[in-house]
Amino acid sequence: MSADRNAAKGGETATVTAAPPATRAIVMRVLGTYGTIIVLVLMVVVFSSLRPGTFSSVGNFRNIFNDMAIGTIVAAGLTVPLVAGDFDLSIGYIASFCGLLVVGLLSAGLAIPVAILLVIAVGMAIGIVNGFIVTKIGVNAFIATLGTGTVVVGLNYAYSGGIPQQLTQSREFTDIAIGRIAGVPHLVLLMAAVLVVLWVILNRTVQGQHIKAIGVSPESARRAGVAVDRSRIVAFAIASTCAAIGGVLMASNLGSGQVTAGDGFMLTSFAAAFLGSAALKEGQFHIVGTLIGVLTVAVGNNGLAMIGAPIFTQFVFAGSLLVVAVALGGIGRRYRIG
Amino acid sequence: MAAERPDGETTERKALLDLRHISKSFGGIHALDDLSLSLHRHDVVGLVGDNGAGKSTLIKILAGAHDPTSGVIELEGRPQRLSPPAEAQRLGIETVYQDLSLVGTFNAAENFFLGREISVGKGPALFRFIRPKAMAKTAIRGLEELHIDIPGVRSKPVDRMSGGQRQLVAIARGAFWGNKLLLLDEPTAALGVRESREVLDLIGRLSARGITIVMVTHNLEHLWAVCNRVVVMRRGRKVADMPSAATTMEDVVGYITGAKEPEGTSARLREGAA
Repeated sequence: MSADRNAAKGGETATVTAAPPATRAIVMRVLGTYGTIIVLVLMVVVFSSLRPGTFSSVGNFRNIFNDMAIGTIVAAGLTVPLVAGDFDLSIGYIASFCGLLVVGLLSAGLAIPVAILLVIAVGMAIGIVNGFIVTKIGVNAFIATLGTGTVVVGLNYAYSGGIPQQLTQSREFTDIAIGRIAGVPHLVLLMAAVLVVLWVILNRTVQGQHIKAIGVSPESARRAGVAVDRSRIVAFAIASTCAAIGGVLMASNLGSGQVTAGDGFMLTSFAAAFLGSAALKEGQFHIVGTLIGVLTVAVGNNGLAMIGAPIFTQFVFAGSLLVVAVALGGIGRRYRIG
Repeated sequence: MAAERPDGETTERKALLDLRHISKSFGGIHALDDLSLSLHRHDVVGLVGDNGAGKSTLIKILAGAHDPTSGVIELEGRPQRLSPPAEAQRLGIETVYQDLSLVGTFNAAENFFLGREISVGKGPALFRFIRPKAMAKTAIRGLEELHIDIPGVRSKPVDRMSGGQRQLVAIARGAFWGNKLLLLDEPTAALGVRESREVLDLIGRLSARGITIVMVTHNLEHLWAVCNRVVVMRRGRKVADMPSAATTMEDVVGYITGAKEPEGTSARLREGAA
């Protein structure tokens, strides 16, 4: 009798516990795959209904895209080593240094294209150094790039003495960031170009295929004959090159070289990339996802400003979003149908 | 190559790969001690032995992952160095490792061509563009030729396939690229009965196509199902090497544990040690 009751009870709890995990798994999978997009759409709907005339106007969206363009370039670059499974904490400092350096070189009388190419080459070189330290010396990427990033801060101060560099040249340089073609800001066009190039690299080249394989299973890739070290170095070089491009555009946009202007890109890029990993691809980093991630942060900040929320809310929003982003990305990976 | 047709008999008997007096030591530890082994076409060799007997060292030497400390390797009668692994692969030797062969988020076709992508363009990998359709077509054809029926070759990430399907993909990839020697590290270890059967069937079909196979296994039933030859290792030495039809599971277990030593072999070993 009592055994029967126990059995019945056992059966009951079994069915009760059997149902929620299935529902839970579906909910989690949806969150991990569409979480960021849901947040983005919700924000657009809420802000549009609160400020119908101003938020959802063409002009405002042009502003949003224009303001997020440089951040997107840096974040999309960071996405490449993230896909390969490596963190790069130096990108913000590289952007700051490169912004300052390009203004300094222009003030020293270099032609605009020469100065820009030189600075981008410097950025790329820092990335190659990052890659070498991580792959050939075997220092953990997190620590290695924190180290090189701090050295770059040192270079920055050595070069500038901690003093902002004023642009003494003509308007030609500032027009790079501020100009428009057929009403579309240059920055938005440049952002689109960088996104397309990076998307093609990751999804249509042999190098991209290898970077993706390494991020998932470095040992399988190595055994299949993939040049693992070289691919990781290339990924670091792509990230730092994009950071350098971001730094140059920042200087062009500001009309001066500020010592710490790009430092903030580190946090926002990671937030964007992690938010992006919870968009469409179940916890994997990818270029389109990072774009959606940046857009989510940008729409949030713009909307908060529109409804007149105090400044502190933007920091609370950005910080919370980073945590939510990492959580969503993790959920995506955990509940991936495997 | 030229001698093949008029003298098919001798070609058939000539070894594909000859290992002569191979030793390998790591520091002071002798992982392999004076091992000689001839592999012939159509051989399906079951390589058995306890943990630490030297099986994986032997596999790694065949795969080109290790260079022997001493000894000679001959491929089709000519001295040949197999390392690095890319060299072994170039010579038609492929290895299917237990777990670490496939990239989970890639589909079967992408896995087939990982490291050997079909691409257009020249120069560094950054400037070579992959041709997903061509790769998928070739992979599908490769699987069809081996009578492997797996849905979603170009659409399904392999980590959404069953363990058996993944193993079939990994072995088919090895067979696709390695036309001479296929090294399988515990191909049925994590598989159920039906899936093991499918993998063993595939191994049989590959052998019929003339690929030489060396398979490390702990499962003697699976060994007897496909292998025509058993090689037993113990403490870095080959203690038995015989047709599987000429021995029994009990004897093989005896060789593995050391409870039984074939007279000829032990005498030879004693000589070698002296």
